[in-house]
Amino acid sequence: MKQVDPVLLAVYARIFKSITDEMSLSVQMTARSPILCEAKDFVTGLYDAEGNMLEQTENLPILAFSLAPVCKYIIEYFGDDVHEGDVIFHNDVFSLGNQNNDVAVYKPIFHDGELIGWSAVKGHQADIGGAVRGGYNPNATEVWQEALRIPPVKVYEKGQLRKDVWGLIFANIRLDIVQHDLRSQMGACTVGERRLQALLCKYGVDSFFVHKAALFDASRKMVEKEIEQIPNGNYHGTGRVYFDGHHEGTQFDIRVSITVTEQRITFDYSETDPQTDGFVNGTFTSSASATVLSFLQMINPDIPHNEGMLQPIDIIIPEGTILNASYPKATTFGNHLCPPNADAIIRALAPVIPDRVTAGWNNLLCSLTTGLDPATGEPYVDIGFMGLKGGSGAMHGTDGYDHIGMIDASGGVLDQDYEMFEQMTPHRLIRHEYQPDSAGPGQWRGGLGVVTEFVIGSHDTQLVTFGDGDFEPAFGLFGGGDGTLNTIRLTYPDGREVIPRNKDLIKNVPAGTHYFQLAGGGGGYGDPARRDRDLLTEEIRNGIISAAQAQQAYHLDSSQTQSGAGDEL
Amino acid sequence: MTLKVGIDVGGTFTDFWVTEKGEEPVVHKVLSTPEDPSIAVLRGLSEIAGLAGSSRPLRTFAGSIETIVHGTTVTTNATLTRAGACSGLITTAGVRDALEMRRGIREEQYNNRYTNVVPLVPRYCRIGVGGRLDREGREIEPLSLDEVQAAVDLFKAEGVEAVSICFMNAFANAHHEQQAADLVRQALPDAYLSVSSELLPSIRFYERVSTTVLNSYVGPILERYLDRLQVRLAEAGFAGLLLVMQSNGGVMAPDIAREKPALTLLSGPAAGPGAGLLYAGAHDWKNCIVIDMGGTSFEAALVREEPVMVNEGVIDRHRIALPMLGIHTIGAGGGSIGWIDQGGLLRMGPQSAGANPGPAAYGHGGRQPTTTDANLVLGYLDPEYFAGGRMPLDLPAARDAIAAGVAEPLGLSVVEAAAGMYRVTCNNMAQGVREITIKRGYDPREFPLVVAGGAGPIHSCLIADELDIPLQIVPRESSILCAVGMLMGDLRHDLVRTFVARLDDVDWAALQGLVDALCEEGTALLEAERIAPDAREFFLKLDCRYLKQYHEVSFPVPLQAITDRDQAVIASAFHAEYNRLYGYSLEQEAAAVEIINIRLQAVGRVEKPELNAEIRHGADASHAIKGERSVYVFEDDAFRQMSVYDGDKLQHGNRVAGPAIIEKQTTAVFVSSSFDCICDSLGSLVLYSRQRADLVTELLRGDS
Repeated sequence: MKQVDPVLLAVYARIFKSITDEMSLSVQMTARSPILCEAKDFVTGLYDAEGNMLEQTENLPILAFSLAPVCKYIIEYFGDDVHEGDVIFHNDVFSLGNQNNDVAVYKPIFHDGELIGWSAVKGHQADIGGAVRGGYNPNATEVWQEALRIPPVKVYEKGQLRKDVWGLIFANIRLDIVQHDLRSQMGACTVGERRLQALLCKYGVDSFFVHKAALFDASRKMVEKEIEQIPNGNYHGTGRVYFDGHHEGTQFDIRVSITVTEQRITFDYSETDPQTDGFVNGTFTSSASATVLSFLQMINPDIPHNEGMLQPIDIIIPEGTILNASYPKATTFGNHLCPPNADAIIRALAPVIPDRVTAGWNNLLCSLTTGLDPATGEPYVDIGFMGLKGGSGAMHGTDGYDHIGMIDASGGVLDQDYEMFEQMTPHRLIRHEYQPDSAGPGQWRGGLGVVTEFVIGSHDTQLVTFGDGDFEPAFGLFGGGDGTLNTIRLTYPDGREVIPRNKDLIKNVPAGTHYFQLAGGGGGYGDPARRDRDLLTEEIRNGIISAAQAQQAYHLDSSQTQSGAGDEL
Repeated sequence: MTLKVGIDVGGTFTDFWVTEKGEEPVVHKVLSTPEDPSIAVLRGLSEIAGLAGSSRPLRTFAGSIETIVHGTTVTTNATLTRAGACSGLITTAGVRDALEMRRGIREEQYNNRYTNVVPLVPRYCRIGVGGRLDREGREIEPLSLDEVQAAVDLFKAEGVEAVSICFMNAFANAHHEQQAADLVRQALPDAYLSVSSELLPSIRFYERVSTTVLNSYVGPILERYLDRLQVRLAEAGFAGLLLVMQSNGGVMAPDIAREKPALTLLSGPAAGPGAGLLYAGAHDWKNCIVIDMGGTSFEAALVREEPVMVNEGVIDRHRIALPMLGIHTIGAGGGSIGWIDQGGLLRMGPQSAGANPGPAAYGHGGRQPTTTDANLVLGYLDPEYFAGGRMPLDLPAARDAIAAGVAEPLGLSVVEAAAGMYRVTCNNMAQGVREITIKRGYDPREFPLVVAGGAGPIHSCLIADELDIPLQIVPRESSILCAVGMLMGDLRHDLVRTFVARLDDVDWAALQGLVDALCEEGTALLEAERIAPDAREFFLKLDCRYLKQYHEVSFPVPLQAITDRDQAVIASAFHAEYNRLYGYSLEQEAAAVEIINIRLQAVGRVEKPELNAEIRHGADASHAIKGERSVYVFEDDAFRQMSVYDGDKLQHGNRVAGPAIIEKQTTAVFVSSSFDCICDSLGSLVLYSRQRADLVTELLRGDS
């Protein structure tokens, strides 16, 4: 048996990371949908022969923690029938997928005829069939109204394209670019395959096994050490979901009971409200991803992400709750239950680890526009990434980060480039700026939200909204104030105003309609009166805090306030 | 006239390498003069002219110089230390925050302590004005000249000295930017002006605004420098060709540098990787890691047969969308200031004391403790032999600065504090090396570490120790490696034109015309640089993508393929490169390919100075021992008495066992207790881990 070489161990860790980073770059550079190549709504990963996570590049972490469970499912599903050159697709939420639109590509990696591991890429597709273009169907009550289900299926077998299977899948998807984007994901899997094979040739299989196990151990120990620093006990928190898409005024509570016992932490959601009859339901993996990513933000960020990291964490989510819907419920909204889930976890742990939690983050409110570009006659789909990203919550010693969005992306999802947005859609951007006074006041303020305005350029545009945060703002902590609310408002050319509900489908939006959106700020932390006065003066000059807010919320002496040039509210 | 001079103007030192046919090259170093870096350039030339053995009047010397190639880190340093121009931005109303938002990224997703970078233009000086072009470049709304005027008035009141103009969709139509530029030129004739459509006429707003703002931020800094330099050189009698280093490893005329100062960001180290390979190549290594630690910044680069290129760079998290060598820079140098952060942790840099006041030990009034002060306290530097004894160091001042700034706040002794500063600095630099190796999947242990910069060889043993790198090469010219590289590189001009067309429907005559025009432009540039026709070469690249993709792939195409109108050759080259990069191609599907850009690199081959090999001497180095002193040894965390060698007396074949100090005129080398050292035929000091003497068997035997 080979010995663990501590320097080589670090090299393995970095090489795994560099492989998944390179796979990520490959998708970013070759995909066609802006959702992938501009917003990076995808995750790349490497897994061992048993489906254990070796490393991931988690551009959008909410997709991240379903890849290993699905890999294990695929291994069980196909048994011995896995061969070099196979390519397997999967999106099925009832076999551990997280969301219908998030289609994963898996490629087995062989070395000297032996299955050594898997490379995989999961990405949000521009369309996935179902009743509504783009995939978000707020009226859905069953999965078939949402999407084409893809349980594990080989699209390539031993290097040969299965033309019939390929044809069947893409006959059920509206947009051609989805084919190209899945090819892009397959290409990235090949990049991962080649790099891992090169690594195996260089260091040998024995060395790979020894160091892989050592890396799992190292991550596990690091997480255990982090958990040890949280006092033993049982802690409770609640986060609220507003509106199920069907019944006005509905509310649902996510209730978490967190138990810390020495080196283990358990997140138990047994008291969470039951599933809804609409699409506002989680899947086990979307909800577990939310739990993991929320927790990871409270511990050392440098721990390598692999299977070992997850071992000290137990997650209990009974089937039939809003976080784990039973077959065949609709679930497309499930990824977006992450913010209230994170709220519940933060509220539970804030009293015991006050210096490691943030205040509340701005919740997601997103819109997706689809239609035909009148100049080209070509269809487009745009997820309004630039508009949906509000501020993060402040923490002790650090202001919130401006405009990095909901906690499930944590700054990993990029805005569309403004000029590419105008190339890829018929819309014209009017404004995308920080929203003054949106940050929750505090000794450390929340991150700023943004205002987004554009003119819709297509006739008969379809607008789908999904999200929350228009009823309850990001909460402040320890004396800090709340952030601002989310809003979307449409002004039609005839002057009529439409305010979509937070889960809505609006058809026939005419060209020339003015689109307006606010993504709110994050919650503040600590007493605003104790905020650094020089910093405050500078913020007033820069027009991100108004003189009025400085006086009212921060108790700044009025003689110290002078409004900034170019300040527009 | 065969006299050539490479001049590398750094934040702390200005380095010279002078070559003349038939003569030994001359290495020289003077303190930089940041308030006017050209003073140091002239001082250096004057000192070189007066050097014993070849003493001549400056006028005679300067008049005989054929070419000066120089690189400057003044723009890099100004950016890293936030000492650039007071800047203003005029942009399209509604998008003024794009610069600061950086597309809403947080590079460390799980780190809630990670804060955004402070923008180079504060929000109150980022002004949105009315006026709009659509995506095709057609005017939707005329430019509001009143609002441009209002912005200009504000800039006047705020003392803005550099203005950037970047409007939405200006890549497709420069008219509005030109209108605004005219107004700015009239109203603020002394302000430095960058216009996005002139600098980078390509799509992607964030990349363009960031690059344009960087250009302005450093523009006045570089302009003032070049103005003074050219005047002073002319006054001194220089009438030869002056060339400026670019970040792509090539050089350019000063006039282009004035317009595109962003090309000089990260350009000083751009000459280093090529030069580093020269010294590694003497031992038949084709790959190496080159590190360069100056007074202000530390650079690390990877060479795999040739220096690794990237299509765009990042400086302190600001995007520069210009092709350049893949060099990782951090704010760590001899002048880096030690300080205690909010959490009570010792930090080093990125603020630098520069050359003036410089480290406390310089005795120029510096009061803050720097890396150099720590090195002096730890015994790595001899207060009487810094810069060859021309610049005595003030040990009590260094101790006082460390006591007040680091030791007392942390409750440590001065020596403990200095050792901590040394370790933190080395750890920062080791992280920089990890960025270009381990993070890209390369094992650093497989690459020799070529160590450059005056302060590099004091720290390289600990860096090598942290990364387990068994072999270091300290070139004889290590303190001025970039100055050497400047004379070793060819002239390179990257020319680009946007030409959007489907490959299966290309207007070949138009394409040929464009390529011809680029070749003519390249020829004119090389002619101006006095490159003979037989030394000129042209390399064509196309940026292509599959129809409707977002990003392009750049790949070489033979010029003949254009002449032959050979679509198949171009297509298969594209598919092949695409497959190499991304693991698949759409060749079998015969997917449509579109051309986006034509790139031509015009190369002028230059005659390179030769490094003369020395004859072999014995292993005994005792003739070079000049004394001994007590020096901090990190492996033992203690001071040890060790021999001090005069590095300028070491000869090919001489061996020095660690721990030891080797002092040269321009640098000090610390051989730690786990390393030994042998001098090679080029005068490089090869430091090898005592356990890995097998790596230098031939050198030890005298075979190489």
